Amino acid sequence: MLTIKENLKEVMTGGNPERFVKQYEFMEMIMSVPMTRMKPPIGGEIVNEWGVTIRWPEGQIGSFPVHDDELIVIKDICEWKDYVNAPNLKHSDDAWKTAIAQAAAVNRKEKYVTAFMAPGLFELTHFLMRMENALMNFYEEPEAMHELIDFFTQYELDYAREVIDHIHPDALFHHDDWGSQISTFLSPAMFEEFFVPAYKKIYGFWKENGVEIIVHHSDSYAATLVPYMIEMGIDIWQGVMTTNNISELIEKYGNDITFMGGVDSGIVDKPDWTQEQINTEFRRACTNYGKLYFIPGLSQGLAISSFPGVYEAADEAIDNMSKEMF
Amino acid sequence: MSKIAEVKNLVETGKSKKVAAAVQESLDAGDKAQDILDAMIASMGVVGDKFSSGEIFVPEMLIAAKAMSKGVEVLKPIMAGDGSSSLGTCIMGTVAGDLHDIGKNLVVMMLESAGFDMVDLGVDVPAEKFVEAVKQNNNVVLIACSGLLTTTMPALKEAVQTVKAACPDMKVIVGGAPVTQEYADEIDADGYAPDAGSSASKAKEILGL
Repeated sequence: MLTIKENLKEVMTGGNPERFVKQYEFMEMIMSVPMTRMKPPIGGEIVNEWGVTIRWPEGQIGSFPVHDDELIVIKDICEWKDYVNAPNLKHSDDAWKTAIAQAAAVNRKEKYVTAFMAPGLFELTHFLMRMENALMNFYEEPEAMHELIDFFTQYELDYAREVIDHIHPDALFHHDDWGSQISTFLSPAMFEEFFVPAYKKIYGFWKENGVEIIVHHSDSYAATLVPYMIEMGIDIWQGVMTTNNISELIEKYGNDITFMGGVDSGIVDKPDWTQEQINTEFRRACTNYGKLYFIPGLSQGLAISSFPGVYEAADEAIDNMSKEMF
Repeated sequence: MSKIAEVKNLVETGKSKKVAAAVQESLDAGDKAQDILDAMIASMGVVGDKFSSGEIFVPEMLIAAKAMSKGVEVLKPIMAGDGSSSLGTCIMGTVAGDLHDIGKNLVVMMLESAGFDMVDLGVDVPAEKFVEAVKQNNNVVLIACSGLLTTTMPALKEAVQTVKAACPDMKVIVGGAPVTQEYADEIDADGYAPDAGSSASKAKEILGL
Protein backbone atom coordinates (compact mmCIF):
# COMPACT_ATOMS: atom_id res chain seq x y z
CA MET A 1 0.00 0.00 0.00
CA LEU A 2 1.32 3.42 -0.91
CA THR A 3 2.04 5.84 1.88
CA ILE A 4 0.10 9.10 1.94
CA LYS A 5 3.10 10.87 0.38
CA GLU A 6 3.64 8.23 -2.28
CA ASN A 7 -0.03 8.30 -3.19
CA LEU A 8 0.09 12.09 -3.51
CA LYS A 9 3.12 11.88 -5.80
CA GLU A 10 1.32 9.39 -8.03
CA VAL A 11 -1.57 11.86 -8.32
CA MET A 12 0.74 14.78 -9.04
CA THR A 13 2.82 12.97 -11.62
CA GLY A 14 0.01 11.26 -13.50
CA GLY A 15 1.01 7.86 -12.19
CA ASN A 16 -1.03 5.17 -10.53
CA PRO A 17 -2.53 6.35 -7.27
CA GLU A 18 -4.33 3.79 -5.13
CA ARG A 19 -6.96 6.19 -3.87
CA PHE A 20 -7.92 9.85 -3.84
CA VAL A 21 -5.74 12.08 -1.72
CA LYS A 22 -7.99 13.03 1.17
CA GLN A 23 -7.95 16.81 1.51
CA TYR A 24 -5.08 17.99 3.71
CA GLU A 25 -3.96 14.52 4.84
CA PHE A 26 -0.47 14.90 3.36
CA MET A 27 0.37 18.12 5.23
CA GLU A 28 1.26 18.26 8.90
CA MET A 29 0.99 21.98 9.46
CA ILE A 30 3.37 23.37 12.06
CA MET A 31 1.26 26.19 13.44
CA SER A 32 3.19 26.63 16.66
CA VAL A 33 6.09 28.64 15.19
CA PRO A 34 6.58 31.75 17.34
CA MET A 35 5.61 34.19 14.60
CA THR A 36 2.41 32.55 13.39
CA ARG A 37 -0.25 35.04 12.36
CA MET A 38 -2.45 36.39 15.12
CA LYS A 39 -6.20 35.98 14.89
CA PRO A 40 -8.84 37.15 17.36
CA PRO A 41 -11.08 34.69 19.19
CA ILE A 42 -14.75 34.64 18.17
CA GLY A 43 -16.28 37.78 19.62
CA GLY A 44 -12.86 39.36 20.11
CA GLU A 45 -10.62 42.00 18.61
CA ILE A 46 -6.84 42.16 18.38
CA VAL A 47 -4.15 44.28 16.81
CA ASN A 48 -2.15 41.78 14.80
CA GLU A 49 1.57 41.48 14.15
CA TRP A 50 1.38 44.12 11.37
CA GLY A 51 -0.63 46.56 13.46
CA VAL A 52 -3.90 45.73 11.73
CA THR A 53 -6.97 45.72 13.96
CA ILE A 54 -8.88 42.52 13.34
CA ARG A 55 -12.33 41.78 14.68
CA TRP A 56 -14.26 38.52 14.79
CA PRO A 57 -17.88 39.39 15.60
CA GLU A 58 -20.09 36.78 17.24
CA GLY A 59 -22.02 34.74 14.72
CA GLN A 60 -19.58 35.31 11.86
CA ILE A 61 -17.58 32.53 10.23
CA GLY A 62 -14.39 34.54 10.01
CA SER A 63 -12.53 37.62 11.16
CA PHE A 64 -12.34 40.95 9.34
CA PRO A 65 -9.74 43.71 9.32
CA VAL A 66 -11.21 46.97 10.61
CA HIS A 67 -10.62 49.71 8.09
CA ASP A 68 -12.15 52.88 9.42
CA ASP A 69 -10.14 56.05 8.87
CA GLU A 70 -8.66 56.01 12.34
CA LEU A 71 -7.53 52.39 12.44
CA ILE A 72 -6.31 51.95 8.89
CA VAL A 73 -2.53 51.34 9.03
CA ILE A 74 -1.28 52.96 5.81
CA LYS A 75 -2.93 56.35 5.65
CA ASP A 76 -0.86 57.54 2.68
CA ILE A 77 0.77 55.05 0.34
CA CYS A 78 3.49 57.52 -0.62
CA GLU A 79 4.55 57.63 3.03
CA TRP A 80 4.16 53.90 3.68
CA LYS A 81 7.55 53.69 5.41
CA ASP A 82 6.18 55.90 8.16
CA TYR A 83 3.38 53.48 8.88
CA VAL A 84 4.61 49.95 8.22
CA ASN A 85 6.77 47.94 10.60
CA ALA A 86 7.52 44.31 9.84
CA PRO A 87 6.80 41.90 12.66
CA ASN A 88 9.66 40.64 14.77
CA LEU A 89 11.16 37.43 13.45
CA LYS A 90 13.85 36.85 16.03
CA HIS A 91 12.69 34.60 18.83
CA SER A 92 14.53 32.70 21.54
CA ASP A 93 15.33 29.00 21.27
CA ASP A 94 12.81 28.49 24.00
CA ALA A 95 10.06 30.07 21.91
CA TRP A 96 10.83 27.60 19.12
CA LYS A 97 10.73 24.48 21.31
CA THR A 98 7.10 23.56 20.67
CA ALA A 99 7.35 23.94 16.90
CA ILE A 100 10.61 21.96 16.76
CA ALA A 101 9.06 19.17 18.83
CA GLN A 102 5.94 19.17 16.66
CA ALA A 103 8.04 18.87 13.51
CA ALA A 104 10.22 16.15 15.03
CA ALA A 105 7.16 14.07 15.83
CA VAL A 106 6.04 13.90 12.20
CA ASN A 107 6.70 10.72 10.27
CA ARG A 108 8.27 12.33 7.21
CA LYS A 109 7.89 9.16 5.15
CA GLU A 110 4.14 9.49 5.52
CA LYS A 111 3.55 13.23 5.61
CA TYR A 112 5.14 16.56 4.78
CA VAL A 113 6.27 18.79 7.62
CA THR A 114 4.55 21.92 6.38
CA ALA A 115 5.32 25.54 7.04
CA PHE A 116 2.38 27.92 7.04
CA MET A 117 2.34 31.49 5.79
CA ALA A 118 -0.51 33.97 5.86
CA PRO A 119 -1.48 36.57 4.91
CA GLY A 120 0.16 36.67 1.50
CA LEU A 121 1.60 39.61 -0.38
CA PHE A 122 -1.60 40.77 -2.05
CA GLU A 123 -3.63 40.27 1.11
CA LEU A 124 -1.14 42.34 3.07
CA THR A 125 -1.57 45.27 0.70
CA HIS A 126 -5.29 45.48 1.37
CA PHE A 127 -5.10 44.45 5.03
CA LEU A 128 -2.92 47.48 5.65
CA MET A 129 -4.78 50.08 3.59
CA ARG A 130 -8.30 48.80 2.70
CA MET A 131 -9.16 46.93 -0.47
CA GLU A 132 -10.38 49.91 -2.49
CA ASN A 133 -7.28 51.97 -1.69
CA ALA A 134 -4.95 49.09 -2.48
CA LEU A 135 -6.60 48.37 -5.81
CA MET A 136 -6.53 52.00 -6.88
CA ASN A 137 -2.95 52.45 -5.73
CA PHE A 138 -1.77 49.79 -8.17
CA TYR A 139 -2.76 52.31 -10.84
CA GLU A 140 -2.18 55.61 -9.18
CA GLU A 141 0.98 54.99 -7.14
CA PRO A 142 2.65 51.99 -8.77
CA GLU A 143 6.16 52.87 -7.62
CA ALA A 144 5.14 53.00 -3.98
CA MET A 145 3.23 49.75 -4.37
CA HIS A 146 6.29 48.09 -5.89
CA GLU A 147 8.38 49.32 -2.96
CA LEU A 148 5.85 48.05 -0.46
CA ILE A 149 5.65 44.63 -2.12
CA ASP A 150 9.46 44.45 -2.17
CA PHE A 151 9.39 45.15 1.57
CA PHE A 152 6.84 42.37 2.16
CA THR A 153 8.92 40.04 -0.03
CA GLN A 154 12.01 40.64 2.04
CA TYR A 155 9.97 39.96 5.17
CA GLU A 156 8.74 36.69 3.69
CA LEU A 157 12.29 35.65 2.79
CA ASP A 158 13.47 36.43 6.33
CA TYR A 159 10.50 34.52 7.72
CA ALA A 160 11.32 31.57 5.47
CA ARG A 161 14.94 31.57 6.65
CA GLU A 162 13.88 31.36 10.28
CA VAL A 163 11.39 28.56 9.67
CA ILE A 164 13.79 26.59 7.50
CA ASP A 165 16.57 26.89 10.07
CA HIS A 166 14.37 25.67 12.89
CA ILE A 167 11.99 23.03 11.53
CA HIS A 168 13.33 22.11 8.08
CA PRO A 169 9.93 21.88 6.37
CA ASP A 170 9.26 19.66 3.37
CA ALA A 171 6.27 21.66 2.18
CA LEU A 172 4.89 25.18 2.34
CA PHE A 173 1.22 26.07 2.62
CA HIS A 174 0.87 29.70 1.64
CA HIS A 175 -2.27 31.80 1.63
CA ASP A 176 -3.01 34.68 -0.71
CA ASP A 177 -6.51 35.12 -2.11
CA TRP A 178 -6.21 36.50 -5.61
CA GLY A 179 -9.82 36.70 -6.62
CA SER A 180 -13.49 36.73 -5.86
CA GLN A 181 -15.65 33.77 -6.75
CA ILE A 182 -16.11 34.99 -10.30
CA SER A 183 -13.01 36.97 -11.21
CA THR A 184 -9.46 37.78 -10.24
CA PHE A 185 -9.06 41.06 -8.37
CA LEU A 186 -6.33 42.25 -10.73
CA SER A 187 -6.00 41.81 -14.45
CA PRO A 188 -3.53 39.07 -15.36
CA ALA A 189 -1.14 41.72 -16.72
CA MET A 190 -1.19 43.72 -13.49
CA PHE A 191 -0.83 40.55 -11.45
CA GLU A 192 2.19 39.58 -13.54
CA GLU A 193 3.83 42.94 -13.04
CA PHE A 194 3.36 43.22 -9.29
CA PHE A 195 3.32 39.70 -7.92
CA VAL A 196 4.96 37.13 -10.19
CA PRO A 197 8.57 38.30 -9.66
CA ALA A 198 8.03 38.52 -5.90
CA TYR A 199 6.57 35.06 -5.59
CA LYS A 200 9.25 33.57 -7.84
CA LYS A 201 11.79 34.82 -5.33
CA ILE A 202 9.85 33.59 -2.31
CA TYR A 203 8.87 30.17 -3.58
CA GLY A 204 12.27 29.73 -5.19
CA PHE A 205 13.94 30.36 -1.84
CA TRP A 206 11.82 27.77 -0.03
CA LYS A 207 12.59 25.23 -2.74
CA GLU A 208 16.31 25.98 -2.69
CA ASN A 209 16.20 25.16 0.99
CA GLY A 210 14.61 21.76 1.18
CA VAL A 211 10.94 22.39 0.48
CA GLU A 212 9.65 19.87 -2.06
CA ILE A 213 6.15 21.13 -2.67
CA ILE A 214 4.50 24.53 -2.60
CA VAL A 215 0.77 24.53 -1.92
CA HIS A 216 -0.88 27.88 -2.55
CA HIS A 217 -4.32 28.73 -1.21
CA SER A 218 -6.67 31.00 -3.11
CA ASP A 219 -10.32 30.01 -2.74
CA SER A 220 -11.49 31.94 -5.72
CA TYR A 221 -11.65 32.12 -9.44
CA ALA A 222 -8.05 32.27 -10.66
CA ALA A 223 -8.00 30.16 -13.84
CA THR A 224 -6.35 32.95 -15.81
CA LEU A 225 -3.49 33.04 -13.31
CA VAL A 226 -2.58 29.35 -13.55
CA PRO A 227 0.30 29.90 -16.01
CA TYR A 228 1.77 32.39 -13.50
CA MET A 229 1.26 29.92 -10.65
CA ILE A 230 3.35 27.43 -12.58
CA GLU A 231 5.98 30.06 -13.30
CA MET A 232 6.16 30.96 -9.61
CA GLY A 233 6.77 27.34 -8.64
CA ILE A 234 3.40 26.43 -7.18
CA ASP A 235 2.85 22.67 -7.24
CA ILE A 236 -0.69 22.53 -5.88
CA TRP A 237 -3.36 25.22 -6.12
CA GLN A 238 -5.57 24.63 -3.10
CA GLY A 239 -9.01 26.21 -2.99
CA VAL A 240 -9.89 25.90 -6.65
CA MET A 241 -13.59 26.70 -6.80
CA THR A 242 -16.18 25.36 -9.19
CA THR A 243 -16.39 28.76 -10.89
CA ASN A 244 -13.15 27.73 -12.59
CA ASN A 245 -13.40 25.20 -15.39
CA ILE A 246 -11.46 22.63 -13.39
CA SER A 247 -11.67 19.82 -15.95
CA GLU A 248 -10.21 22.10 -18.61
CA LEU A 249 -7.47 23.30 -16.25
CA ILE A 250 -6.50 19.74 -15.40
CA GLU A 251 -6.33 18.80 -19.04
CA LYS A 252 -4.33 21.87 -19.99
CA TYR A 253 -1.99 22.26 -17.02
CA GLY A 254 -2.13 18.97 -15.08
CA ASN A 255 1.42 18.02 -15.99
CA ASP A 256 2.69 21.12 -14.22
CA ILE A 257 0.28 21.77 -11.35
CA THR A 258 -2.27 19.84 -9.30
CA PHE A 259 -5.67 21.24 -8.37
CA MET A 260 -7.03 20.80 -4.84
CA GLY A 261 -10.62 21.60 -3.94
CA GLY A 262 -13.49 21.26 -6.36
CA VAL A 263 -16.15 21.48 -3.65
CA ASP A 264 -17.05 25.02 -2.60
CA SER A 265 -17.17 25.35 1.17
CA GLY A 266 -19.94 27.94 0.85
CA ILE A 267 -22.24 25.30 -0.64
CA VAL A 268 -21.80 22.52 1.92
CA ASP A 269 -20.30 24.08 5.05
CA LYS A 270 -23.39 25.49 6.73
CA PRO A 271 -25.31 25.00 9.96
CA ASP A 272 -27.80 22.58 8.40
CA TRP A 273 -25.22 20.56 6.45
CA THR A 274 -26.02 17.00 5.50
CA GLN A 275 -23.84 14.01 4.68
CA GLU A 276 -26.05 13.38 1.67
CA GLN A 277 -25.33 16.77 0.11
CA ILE A 278 -21.62 16.43 0.84
CA ASN A 279 -21.61 12.97 -0.76
CA THR A 280 -23.34 14.39 -3.83
CA GLU A 281 -20.83 17.22 -4.15
CA PHE A 282 -17.81 14.94 -3.82
CA ARG A 283 -19.32 12.45 -6.25
CA ARG A 284 -19.65 15.28 -8.77
CA ALA A 285 -16.11 16.48 -8.14
CA CYS A 286 -14.40 13.08 -8.20
CA THR A 287 -16.34 11.93 -11.25
CA ASN A 288 -15.84 15.12 -13.23
CA TYR A 289 -12.22 15.86 -12.37
CA GLY A 290 -10.82 12.33 -12.14
CA LYS A 291 -8.00 10.57 -10.36
CA LEU A 292 -4.97 12.47 -11.60
CA TYR A 293 -3.74 16.02 -10.92
CA PHE A 294 -6.77 16.51 -8.67
CA ILE A 295 -7.18 16.37 -4.89
CA PRO A 296 -10.78 16.47 -3.76
CA GLY A 297 -11.46 18.75 -0.84
CA LEU A 298 -13.34 21.67 0.57
CA SER A 299 -12.14 25.05 -0.67
CA GLN A 300 -11.51 26.16 2.94
CA GLY A 301 -7.92 27.25 3.57
CA LEU A 302 -7.09 24.87 6.41
CA ALA A 303 -8.00 21.35 7.48
CA ILE A 304 -11.08 22.61 9.25
CA SER A 305 -14.67 23.56 8.57
CA SER A 306 -16.75 26.46 9.80
CA PHE A 307 -19.42 24.14 11.17
CA PRO A 308 -18.51 21.07 13.24
CA GLY A 309 -18.44 17.76 11.43
CA VAL A 310 -18.30 19.04 7.85
CA TYR A 311 -14.58 18.42 7.33
CA GLU A 312 -14.88 14.86 8.63
CA ALA A 313 -18.00 14.28 6.53
CA ALA A 314 -16.01 15.41 3.48
CA ASP A 315 -13.28 12.87 4.33
CA GLU A 316 -15.94 10.17 4.56
CA ALA A 317 -17.36 11.17 1.17
CA ILE A 318 -13.88 10.96 -0.37
CA ASP A 319 -13.29 7.53 1.17
CA ASN A 320 -16.51 6.35 -0.42
CA MET A 321 -15.46 7.69 -3.81
CA SER A 322 -12.05 6.01 -3.47
CA LYS A 323 -13.74 2.68 -2.82
CA GLU A 324 -15.96 3.18 -5.82
CA MET A 325 -13.47 4.53 -8.34
CA PHE A 326 -10.21 2.70 -7.51
CA MET B 1 -11.73 65.25 -30.15
CA SER B 2 -14.49 67.41 -28.65
CA LYS B 3 -14.13 68.47 -25.05
CA ILE B 4 -17.03 66.25 -23.97
CA ALA B 5 -15.51 63.28 -25.77
CA GLU B 6 -12.27 63.97 -23.94
CA VAL B 7 -14.07 63.99 -20.58
CA LYS B 8 -15.78 60.74 -21.51
CA ASN B 9 -12.48 59.14 -22.41
CA LEU B 10 -10.79 60.35 -19.21
CA VAL B 11 -13.57 58.85 -17.07
CA GLU B 12 -13.49 55.55 -18.92
CA THR B 13 -9.76 55.28 -18.47
CA GLY B 14 -9.85 56.47 -14.86
CA LYS B 15 -7.68 59.56 -15.21
CA SER B 16 -8.93 61.19 -12.03
CA LYS B 17 -6.19 63.82 -11.90
CA LYS B 18 -7.11 65.19 -15.34
CA VAL B 19 -10.89 65.00 -15.35
CA ALA B 20 -11.66 68.13 -13.34
CA ALA B 21 -9.66 70.35 -15.69
CA ALA B 22 -11.22 68.71 -18.74
CA VAL B 23 -14.73 69.26 -17.37
CA GLN B 24 -13.93 72.90 -16.74
CA GLU B 25 -12.55 73.26 -20.28
CA SER B 26 -15.69 71.64 -21.64
CA LEU B 27 -17.85 74.11 -19.72
CA ASP B 28 -15.67 76.98 -20.89
CA ALA B 29 -16.13 75.80 -24.46
CA GLY B 30 -19.87 76.20 -24.02
CA ASP B 31 -20.95 72.64 -23.32
CA LYS B 32 -23.94 72.30 -21.01
CA ALA B 33 -23.35 70.81 -17.57
CA GLN B 34 -26.14 68.29 -18.10
CA ASP B 35 -24.57 67.10 -21.35
CA ILE B 36 -21.20 66.66 -19.67
CA LEU B 37 -22.83 64.74 -16.83
CA ASP B 38 -24.71 62.53 -19.27
CA ALA B 39 -21.45 61.79 -21.08
CA MET B 40 -19.79 60.75 -17.83
CA ILE B 41 -22.78 58.57 -16.90
CA ALA B 42 -22.53 56.93 -20.30
CA SER B 43 -18.83 56.31 -19.69
CA MET B 44 -19.60 54.52 -16.46
CA GLY B 45 -22.15 52.43 -18.33
CA VAL B 46 -19.37 51.34 -20.67
CA VAL B 47 -17.12 50.64 -17.69
CA GLY B 48 -19.83 48.54 -16.05
CA ASP B 49 -20.35 46.52 -19.21
CA LYS B 50 -16.63 45.93 -19.62
CA PHE B 51 -16.42 44.76 -15.99
CA SER B 52 -19.33 42.38 -16.43
CA SER B 53 -17.76 40.90 -19.54
CA GLY B 54 -14.39 40.42 -17.83
CA GLU B 55 -12.62 42.92 -20.03
CA ILE B 56 -11.64 45.07 -17.07
CA PHE B 57 -11.25 44.37 -13.36
CA VAL B 58 -12.09 46.02 -10.04
CA PRO B 59 -9.16 48.49 -10.05
CA GLU B 60 -10.17 49.85 -13.45
CA MET B 61 -13.77 50.26 -12.26
CA LEU B 62 -12.64 51.98 -9.07
CA ILE B 63 -10.42 54.52 -10.79
CA ALA B 64 -13.16 55.25 -13.33
CA ALA B 65 -15.65 55.90 -10.53
CA LYS B 66 -13.11 58.11 -8.79
CA ALA B 67 -12.53 60.04 -12.02
CA MET B 68 -16.26 60.52 -12.44
CA SER B 69 -16.62 61.86 -8.91
CA LYS B 70 -13.86 64.39 -9.61
CA GLY B 71 -15.76 65.54 -12.68
CA VAL B 72 -19.05 65.73 -10.78
CA GLU B 73 -17.41 67.95 -8.15
CA VAL B 74 -16.86 70.57 -10.85
CA LEU B 75 -20.44 70.31 -12.08
CA LYS B 76 -22.14 70.29 -8.67
CA PRO B 77 -22.08 74.05 -7.97
CA ILE B 78 -23.45 74.70 -11.45
CA MET B 79 -26.21 72.12 -11.20
CA ALA B 80 -27.12 72.81 -7.55
CA GLY B 81 -30.86 72.88 -7.10
CA ASP B 82 -31.40 71.20 -10.43
CA GLY B 83 -32.98 67.91 -9.43
CA SER B 84 -33.51 66.82 -12.99
CA SER B 85 -30.24 64.91 -13.09
CA SER B 86 -31.14 62.63 -10.18
CA LEU B 87 -32.73 59.24 -10.77
CA GLY B 88 -33.97 59.27 -7.18
CA THR B 89 -32.60 57.99 -3.91
CA CYS B 90 -31.34 54.46 -3.43
CA ILE B 91 -30.83 52.95 0.02
CA MET B 92 -28.11 50.32 0.06
CA GLY B 93 -26.69 47.98 2.68
CA THR B 94 -25.22 44.56 3.38
CA VAL B 95 -27.80 42.54 5.27
CA ALA B 96 -27.79 41.56 8.95
CA GLY B 97 -25.03 39.24 10.07
CA ASP B 98 -22.86 39.98 7.06
CA LEU B 99 -19.82 42.26 7.27
CA HIS B 100 -18.68 42.17 3.65
CA ASP B 101 -18.50 45.65 2.21
CA ILE B 102 -16.32 45.63 -0.91
CA GLY B 103 -18.97 44.42 -3.34
CA LYS B 104 -21.52 46.70 -1.72
CA ASN B 105 -19.17 49.67 -2.04
CA LEU B 106 -18.64 48.93 -5.72
CA VAL B 107 -22.38 48.85 -6.32
CA VAL B 108 -22.80 52.14 -4.43
CA MET B 109 -20.21 53.71 -6.74
CA MET B 110 -21.81 52.35 -9.88
CA LEU B 111 -25.33 53.42 -8.90
CA GLU B 112 -24.08 56.84 -7.87
CA SER B 113 -22.28 57.15 -11.18
CA ALA B 114 -25.51 56.27 -12.96
CA GLY B 115 -27.29 59.17 -11.30
CA PHE B 116 -28.81 57.81 -8.10
CA ASP B 117 -28.48 59.68 -4.81
CA MET B 118 -27.02 56.97 -2.62
CA VAL B 119 -27.63 56.39 1.09
CA ASP B 120 -25.14 53.76 2.24
CA LEU B 121 -26.30 52.07 5.45
CA GLY B 122 -23.06 50.08 5.68
CA VAL B 123 -22.82 46.43 6.69
CA ASP B 124 -24.74 44.18 9.09
CA VAL B 125 -27.95 46.14 8.47
CA PRO B 126 -31.10 44.82 10.20
CA ALA B 127 -34.14 44.55 7.94
CA GLU B 128 -36.05 47.25 9.84
CA LYS B 129 -33.28 49.75 9.21
CA PHE B 130 -33.94 49.66 5.46
CA VAL B 131 -37.56 50.60 6.18
CA GLU B 132 -36.54 53.38 8.56
CA ALA B 133 -34.21 54.76 5.92
CA VAL B 134 -37.06 54.90 3.40
CA LYS B 135 -38.99 57.07 5.83
CA GLN B 136 -36.04 59.25 6.75
CA ASN B 137 -34.96 60.11 3.19
CA ASN B 138 -36.64 61.92 0.36
CA ASN B 139 -37.59 60.45 -2.99
CA VAL B 140 -36.48 56.89 -2.23
CA VAL B 141 -37.13 54.80 -5.33
CA LEU B 142 -34.96 51.75 -4.75
CA ILE B 143 -33.56 49.51 -2.01
CA ALA B 144 -30.40 47.54 -2.78
CA CYS B 145 -29.47 44.64 -0.50
CA SER B 146 -26.24 42.73 -0.61
CA GLY B 147 -25.46 39.35 0.97
CA LEU B 148 -22.11 37.61 0.54
CA LEU B 149 -22.53 34.50 2.63
CA THR B 150 -24.64 31.40 2.20
CA THR B 151 -25.41 31.73 5.90
CA THR B 152 -26.81 35.24 5.51
CA MET B 153 -29.15 34.47 2.62
CA PRO B 154 -32.08 34.13 5.05
CA ALA B 155 -31.30 37.69 6.22
CA LEU B 156 -31.51 38.82 2.60
CA LYS B 157 -34.94 37.24 2.36
CA GLU B 158 -36.00 38.89 5.60
CA ALA B 159 -34.80 42.28 4.39
CA VAL B 160 -36.72 42.02 1.12
CA GLN B 161 -39.88 40.82 2.80
CA THR B 162 -39.73 43.42 5.57
CA VAL B 163 -39.35 46.21 3.02
CA LYS B 164 -42.14 44.80 0.86
CA ALA B 165 -44.46 44.49 3.87
CA ALA B 166 -43.85 48.10 4.94
CA CYS B 167 -43.57 49.67 1.49
CA PRO B 168 -45.37 47.43 -1.01
CA ASP B 169 -44.53 49.57 -4.04
CA MET B 170 -40.84 49.94 -3.27
CA LYS B 171 -38.51 48.23 -5.73
CA VAL B 172 -35.81 46.03 -4.26
CA ILE B 173 -32.68 44.81 -6.02
CA VAL B 174 -30.41 42.11 -4.57
CA GLY B 175 -26.97 40.72 -5.24
CA GLY B 176 -23.94 38.98 -3.76
CA ALA B 177 -21.84 35.90 -4.38
CA PRO B 178 -24.34 33.18 -3.38
CA VAL B 179 -27.38 34.98 -4.81
CA THR B 180 -28.92 33.80 -8.07
CA GLN B 181 -31.82 34.98 -10.22
CA GLU B 182 -33.78 31.99 -8.94
CA TYR B 183 -33.19 32.98 -5.35
CA ALA B 184 -34.09 36.59 -6.09
CA ASP B 185 -37.36 35.39 -7.63
CA GLU B 186 -38.01 33.11 -4.67
CA ILE B 187 -37.71 35.95 -2.15
CA ASP B 188 -39.76 38.36 -4.30
CA ALA B 189 -36.96 40.77 -5.10
CA ASP B 190 -37.70 42.92 -8.15
CA GLY B 191 -34.24 42.57 -9.61
CA TYR B 192 -30.94 40.75 -9.36
CA ALA B 193 -27.53 41.87 -10.57
CA PRO B 194 -24.79 39.25 -10.79
CA ASP B 195 -22.03 41.85 -10.41
CA ALA B 196 -21.43 45.52 -9.69
CA GLY B 197 -20.93 46.28 -13.36
CA SER B 198 -24.48 45.33 -14.27
CA SER B 199 -26.12 46.78 -11.15
CA ALA B 200 -26.81 50.22 -12.59
CA SER B 201 -28.44 48.99 -15.79
CA LYS B 202 -30.53 46.48 -13.83
CA ALA B 203 -31.59 49.17 -11.36
CA LYS B 204 -32.70 51.46 -14.17
CA GLU B 205 -34.45 48.59 -15.91
CA ILE B 206 -36.65 47.66 -12.96
CA LEU B 207 -37.55 51.31 -12.43
CA GLY B 208 -38.46 51.70 -16.08
CA LEU B 209 -35.85 54.44 -16.60
